[in-house]
Amino acid sequence: MIKKTLSTLLLSSFAVMALETGDAVPQAIQDELKLENNQTYVIDFFASWCKSCKKELPLVEKVAQENVTHIIGVNVDKKEEDGKKFVADLGLTFPIIYDNDKKLVEAFDPMGFPAIYYVKDGKVVNVIFGAVNDIDEQIKKDMQELK
Amino acid sequence: MKTLICLSLCCSLFSGCSFKNVKPWEKESLAKPIMQFGGIHGAVSKYESHVYFSKEAARGGAGVGGGGCGCN
Repeated sequence: MIKKTLSTLLLSSFAVMALETGDAVPQAIQDELKLENNQTYVIDFFASWCKSCKKELPLVEKVAQENVTHIIGVNVDKKEEDGKKFVADLGLTFPIIYDNDKKLVEAFDPMGFPAIYYVKDGKVVNVIFGAVNDIDEQIKKDMQELK
Repeated sequence: MKTLICLSLCCSLFSGCSFKNVKPWEKESLAKPIMQFGGIHGAVSKYESHVYFSKEAARGGAGVGGGGCGCN
């Protein structure tokens, strides 16, 4: 009993690992994101105060309009209304999840914003951190490679 | 068993003193314009430092290369 408690204590003292390429997305997180098997998703983490996100999101929206793949946006603003205003100002039409309790972002634990995760069959297959000039072209190219 | 207890205590003690990193999604306050060097009005700060260095005849004292009267 003591051994088990101590082992738990020892394990809990280590930081939760960030999701990287090849890692399986926990089922609870998949459920939260409403991910389906045999599908590839682009999950874009962003915030209204992130300048690079503001630059990149219109290009992601362009990809969403072209139905290249399923795109899910995850807003990590402290206040949901800030995120909603930002989304409305940019005119984003793809599904957005407002991660108020930071459950999703803490599970993925990206090292910076914007953070784009490609998830296929519940597994992370590619990650892009930071703004990419032609992210629309990059997503299209990556999707071709993932097919 | 002794090693496990020792290791657990060490981990608990060290994690208690450890520095918690600010995660990228917690940087909202840091990203505000007021947090930039020189405050929200960078031009005011620039003007104030121009006056200061002109009065003190110490142009370049803040790390900028060069010198002179500070009149330009």
